[in-house]
Amino acid sequence: MPAIDFEGRSVPIHAGDSVASALYRDGVRILSRSFKYHRPRGLYCVSGDCAHCMVTVDGEPAVRSCVTPAANGQRVARASAWPSPEHDVLVSAWWMRALLPVGFYYKLFAKPRWMWPLAERYIRRVAGIGPVDTTARPGRILRRNHHPDVMVAGGGAAGLAAALRAAGRGESVLLADEGAIGEKVAPGPTRSAIAKLLASARAHPQVTILEHTRVTGLYDGPLVIAAGEGVAHWIHPARIVIATGAVEQHAVFPGNDLPGVWLGRGAARMAGVHGLAPGRSTVVVAGTTEALEHVETLRKSGTVIRLVVAPAAIAPHVPSGIPVVVDGTVVEARGGRSLRAVVIMGPAGRTVVSCDALAVSLGFVPRDGLLRQASIGIINGAGDVVEPGCTVARAIASGEAAAERPLSAPMSVVPGVGAPPGGGIVCTCEDVTTKELSAAWDEGYRWTELLKRYTTATMGPCQGLLCHQHLRAFVVSRSPAGPAGAPTTARPPARGLTMEEAAAGAEHAIEQRTVLHDRHIDRGARMDWAGAWKRPASYDDPLAEYWAVRRGVSVMDVGTLGKYRVCGPDATEFLDRLYPVDVRTIKPGRSRYGLLLNEAGHIFDDGLVAAMGANDYFVSATSSGADAAEAWMRDWAETWRLRVHIVNQTTALGAINVAGPSSRDLLARLTKDPVDNDTLPYGGLRKITVAGIPCIALRVGFVGELSFELHHPRSRGVELWDALLAAGKDLGIRPHGLDTLKLLRLEKGHILVGQDTDFDTTPGKIGLESLVRMNKPYFIGRSALERLATRPPQRRLVPLRFAGTNAPDEGAQLMDGDRHVGYLTSSRYSPALECGVALGWLATNGGSGPVRVVAVSRGQRRDQGEVVSAPFYDSKSVKLRG
Amino acid sequence: MALLITCPNCGSRAYTEFWFGGELPAPPPAPGAPVDASAEFGRVWYRRNVAGLQAERWFHFAGCRRWLTVQRDTRTNAVHAGD
Ligand SMILES: [Zn+2]
Repeated sequence: MPAIDFEGRSVPIHAGDSVASALYRDGVRILSRSFKYHRPRGLYCVSGDCAHCMVTVDGEPAVRSCVTPAANGQRVARASAWPSPEHDVLVSAWWMRALLPVGFYYKLFAKPRWMWPLAERYIRRVAGIGPVDTTARPGRILRRNHHPDVMVAGGGAAGLAAALRAAGRGESVLLADEGAIGEKVAPGPTRSAIAKLLASARAHPQVTILEHTRVTGLYDGPLVIAAGEGVAHWIHPARIVIATGAVEQHAVFPGNDLPGVWLGRGAARMAGVHGLAPGRSTVVVAGTTEALEHVETLRKSGTVIRLVVAPAAIAPHVPSGIPVVVDGTVVEARGGRSLRAVVIMGPAGRTVVSCDALAVSLGFVPRDGLLRQASIGIINGAGDVVEPGCTVARAIASGEAAAERPLSAPMSVVPGVGAPPGGGIVCTCEDVTTKELSAAWDEGYRWTELLKRYTTATMGPCQGLLCHQHLRAFVVSRSPAGPAGAPTTARPPARGLTMEEAAAGAEHAIEQRTVLHDRHIDRGARMDWAGAWKRPASYDDPLAEYWAVRRGVSVMDVGTLGKYRVCGPDATEFLDRLYPVDVRTIKPGRSRYGLLLNEAGHIFDDGLVAAMGANDYFVSATSSGADAAEAWMRDWAETWRLRVHIVNQTTALGAINVAGPSSRDLLARLTKDPVDNDTLPYGGLRKITVAGIPCIALRVGFVGELSFELHHPRSRGVELWDALLAAGKDLGIRPHGLDTLKLLRLEKGHILVGQDTDFDTTPGKIGLESLVRMNKPYFIGRSALERLATRPPQRRLVPLRFAGTNAPDEGAQLMDGDRHVGYLTSSRYSPALECGVALGWLATNGGSGPVRVVAVSRGQRRDQGEVVSAPFYDSKSVKLRG
Repeated sequence: MALLITCPNCGSRAYTEFWFGGELPAPPPAPGAPVDASAEFGRVWYRRNVAGLQAERWFHFAGCRRWLTVQRDTRTNAVHAGD
């Protein structure tokens, strides 16, 4: 026989069992201990709403056992009790509740301060609903996107009717329900109606049904998140129908949370669906006509109906032979670890009735957590969630209407409130009593939102489903006029969402790779993220990579650079307005380095502008800024209505930088085109053929050595890479990665936009005034720079030199005596200069700032540094021009 | 699929295909024309942040890679006709 493992013992399961029904059949009555007072809790709603039945299933805490199908081999355990949930000594918290006044976490242990760590340790052990399994299991939950016309949350009569109506009009429909559809409903006319609708929906090709899938939240878009078995569904519908139904009203009286006290539908479900009686002798509170069906269902399960408490309108319909108290109320439930008796106040006075089950049907409260999250006018409610307690026929009509009705404004449903709660536990998730609400009220928290925050009522796993109406009724009874009793704001998640489900798909990040990716891996490269790209950080030997560039020859895959062809009659005019450098004077066959400024005069990218011919340019941008640079260019081209073509060649072209004193010799071996310093000088460009591959060769200077950036058709990248490495073998060629590049450029004092700059960095702050031609009549950011010129910068990015073989940390803080004066943005040890080289922000307060500073790294390491001038390496740039 | 944006090149597409470019700013001064510094400062730095119909820029990165201007109700996400 299939069985679950319950705290080390085997509990058999029957067909159709939930975890809770299997445990209940086996005699388990206490499923959890309450959050604060460790009161025993058993089955109550049996609809997945309350927190009473939450257990740990296969390591996942806070699983509602009443809606979780039992499966062979499942490991089930209860949480948060000592020594066991049956005999939890921490229940003493209930008797000591005077010591845990409302809001105690805000005030009780605030003084003396030394008490807090001890108290915190106690609270952490006592409170909570089970430990979280922190083992990472990436990829266990998949993310799946859906794009239906209509999304329906809830598979009751209203939801199914809405789905069928929409599908009938040819719309695609996705319907999600947190359980197996129809199975939560006890046998009867409602269940039959649902079964009929379900059969039609299953047969309809336009309807997709997701069962055991919790709709947890609505987000902008709209985006609906639903968590299913092993799948997080991201649903992007055009319209949404919320048909999440209603939950039976939570009754508040002393002892209302004892095991043995059930909501009427819960007891009926257990009896009708699983054939399990709620107790040996049962008292039924029949405030609704539906409760009369429950009486029949319960009787069939084998319990004795001791008494029915019913209003005058319903009392005559109670089956004969059952004692009835007309117009009575339950005022108390008595018992220790489970119900032993109820106290009923009737017209004839108090009666104490001994019983071990109480089924309470007082009316219905909308399960409207999702509906109340709706802020946009394409969301409709249907059925019980808008008309709690409506008939099946009414629910079907309402569902059909909801599928039709085009809405222009958000649907707002503010249900009325009933009588204020009596004594007892208002919020069973968070253990908040009516007394505590009163205490909070007396302390001045006189608004639903304030009471909620201060007492944490409505903030537990049920998100106020059971207690929100009581919280409002409490406030309205004391402050009948005015907005104090307004509903609290509903936010996602409406149902529990595990971290794993929330993170689903995060590991599906799209990784951009160049065609050389496998070549890098083969060489043992350590790959690192650079924006959306994966790039080699380093190969086997960073120092060898470095010396290959400085003394021999090296290659680097720079195919991730943003690359654009900009041409057309207005291309020169366009780029001259875009860049602060002078673009008009760039002769064909020459390039110029330029910063990209926004309208505020702040640097957001940099790159080369290379003239291929008249009004024909090749423009580059940083790897991570490539997309933004394109959007930026297109925005301005359209704003100015200039005649330019912008062709993004970022993915079409690969690029390999061939750098080092021997780079020209290497290139000469692979090309018949001239690459001498007169034909292709520093800053020049030329179309050449290398190893049979057409390239645009750019003489660039980022690393500070003779170098050629070869832009080529991406499809031939591997061929070019292999040819270069093969031809350069005797020259000691080896590729270098990003780590080496960052050191090489730092030795030249070149900035990395984003690392050395902030969002508000102007060229003047980083000593690049020479790249701004204020004598041009216009460029983007010019008027902002003109305005800023009247205010000398309060800080500057400066080059610093540190003695010793250990450079300070990047991010080290700079001190001038005991005055904090800045921090380092880049810092490396330079093997060529045998000292630390760095760039850092220094407070200059409009002047020049200190010359000698101390850099404080992690672990309080201190390095004496000196502000110098850049470049550190090859200061006259002789090598570069080679 | 809601929050649909109608791209003049590609048709009705999901908002997830676009980057949001913010409110449609006032037109910039013509290049080279004299600039009123304080008006320009306001144009660059201030946003109206309306609750209601707003003209705004979207870049169709997953489609034609062109900018478009749409009228969106910031309270309901209803997108009305383009500019
Ligand atoms: Zn488009």
